[in-house]
Amino acid sequence: MAHNSTAQSDEMSLGDRFNAVAAWPMRILFGLLDRPFRAIQRLFGIERMPYIFLLPNLAFFGLFVVVPLFINFAFSATGGTNLFLADRPFVGTEQYRYLADCGSYLDPSTCREDRFWRGIYNTITFVVFQVAFMVLFSLVTALILNRKIRGRGFFRAAFFFPVLLSPVVVALIWKWILLRDGVLNAGLTSIGLDRILFFVDPTWSMFWAIFVSIWAHMGFYTLILLAGLQAIPPDLYEAAEMDGTKRERIFWRITLPLLWPNLLVVIVLALIKAVQIFDEVFVLTGGGPGTATQFIVQYIYTTGFSNQVQNFGLAAAASVVLGVVLFALTLMQLAASRRREDN
Amino acid sequence: MTEIVLKNIRKAYGEVDVIHGIDLNVESGKFVVFVGPSGCGKSTLLRIIAGLEGVTSGEVLIDGHIVNDEPASERGLAMVFQSYALYPHMSVYKNMAFGLENSKMPREEVEKRVNDAAAMLQITQYLKRRPKALSGGQRQRVAIGRAIVRDPKAFLFDEPLSNLDAELRVTMRKELAALHAKLGGTMIYVTHDQVEAMTLANTIVVLNAGRIEQVGAPLDLYNNPQNTFVAGFIGSPRMNLVEATVERSDGGFQLAAGDSHVSVPNIEGIREGHHVTFGSRPEHIEIVDEADADIVASVDLSEQLGGETYLYCTPEGMPQLTVHQLGQLPIERGQNIHLRLNRACMHLFDSEGNVIVNGVSD
Repeated sequence: MAHNSTAQSDEMSLGDRFNAVAAWPMRILFGLLDRPFRAIQRLFGIERMPYIFLLPNLAFFGLFVVVPLFINFAFSATGGTNLFLADRPFVGTEQYRYLADCGSYLDPSTCREDRFWRGIYNTITFVVFQVAFMVLFSLVTALILNRKIRGRGFFRAAFFFPVLLSPVVVALIWKWILLRDGVLNAGLTSIGLDRILFFVDPTWSMFWAIFVSIWAHMGFYTLILLAGLQAIPPDLYEAAEMDGTKRERIFWRITLPLLWPNLLVVIVLALIKAVQIFDEVFVLTGGGPGTATQFIVQYIYTTGFSNQVQNFGLAAAASVVLGVVLFALTLMQLAASRRREDN
Repeated sequence: MTEIVLKNIRKAYGEVDVIHGIDLNVESGKFVVFVGPSGCGKSTLLRIIAGLEGVTSGEVLIDGHIVNDEPASERGLAMVFQSYALYPHMSVYKNMAFGLENSKMPREEVEKRVNDAAAMLQITQYLKRRPKALSGGQRQRVAIGRAIVRDPKAFLFDEPLSNLDAELRVTMRKELAALHAKLGGTMIYVTHDQVEAMTLANTIVVLNAGRIEQVGAPLDLYNNPQNTFVAGFIGSPRMNLVEATVERSDGGFQLAAGDSHVSVPNIEGIREGHHVTFGSRPEHIEIVDEADADIVASVDLSEQLGGETYLYCTPEGMPQLTVHQLGQLPIERGQNIHLRLNRACMHLFDSEGNVIVNGVSD
């Protein structure tokens, strides 16, 4: 007993010693900060101190998010090719008018900046199919993974792994599969079929852009929906069973309404993410063939940075248009989240 | 009216047996309560009857038909869950109507049934509300209403009052008893609360570790427990159970426990040297003069409740005894009291815990 307590006290004293050593830099720091903070507190009052503590983060956020937002807005009202705002001539809404100058909005080839409109139409096509199929696949996958199936843990992990990959890695993996001499074509030729030049055909390119993006992201949405499904008390299903409810009716009348708040969040998040699509498709197809898979963000990037004539003003104006769309979607997302919390 | 029969029901989860061969006949129109400690298998048994769990072996019969392979939805039973299991996104009306709509009942009939049940349970004013806008007691009524509207063959209740506060539990208990009297249907009720079992049941089934310990009317279990488990489980506070050795005395036996010797008449089934357990309920122990006493005990705690007093006292060499006395007794901690056990209400169990005799006097 005596031996034990000695060992314990040794251990304690070791811990204490470690704490003492670890604590001294903190003590010096607190000592240094104590006087100025007391002075600040005297100056502003204790109830305003939370804002003082928020200030560093707000400054950082302001410098790297809010200020660039305004700079971008300012750029959108200027013309020319100079980089510095001071050197750029003020053109007012000229860039926006240029973007909006169309013979018919339904036909991009009648627009002065047809690449912008093709980007918009491509993005709309992408968003509609990608979001619809991704939500559907995520829901079906979550419903299956929520059941007591063999190897459930493995499948849950397998569906989530692509989310952990960088978009460039995702694109390179699929490029390796889909290129002219890729794995898929090797498979096709080995069973006597013709090669398909996926990235030469506009429809195939759009299909694979949507497919790869669904593959890369659906694990994340599946996870949200799975959490939503698991939050539905099993008692409700048993009560429905006792009530003589058929399986389809249980899905439509119990599962779906109770999952709806989660589903709404998933739909809006997927929408936001889909509108922003750029990196993986850019690496996969380069926007081609032609402009078949060139989306709005790629248009902004190439207009502003990679074209020979770097048209910052036009790119900034397109960014503002995209920003407004994303802002509206974000408001929807917040409303959906609030609704989920209310439920 | 529905009769439910269980024949040699066994249930195992993997290697673990939870129900070990239960035979039971739930008579038509009876209020039967399954009672037992946590993990005794009472809820599992109820879920087996409901069809929410399958059996490993044995047969479940409803009105003479084996229903082992019938899903819950086709057994015609209604269940009230501990958590109420109300659909949170539906109004009270929709909750109650949902099961009827499943069976494609005409809308007028659904409306009539829901309104009648709501009136009976006094929840008409809440029909348009969602469950989250109701109190626990109101939710419980809705859950019961959902069962009533279906006019089931039998009602199954899985600890329906355990989420309510003590006062509401007493009220709901009375209402459930009244409901049974009014509807007259077969009801099976699971609880771990023996007071609920005693007050509601026509028949109590005491379960322990997946086996039936005893089946009987509440007072039958109280007066004639068949083993120490039932003796200890039924009655509140629980029966005092004391291990003793049988010794021969003039004209009979005496039970030696610690420094005390409790004399009993000649009883068939005991012999000198036997190890037995004698039981006496707190209300069957009197405080007497030293000359008439069986036991002398020192008071550890005195609970004065006004109309009655509970004394917790320890005799020399014996476990603590609980003594219940009517009225207010000026007895304090540390005081010695002299106790006499009412022989007519004394129970004697063998070393296995099975009853030898309930009531030892001639």
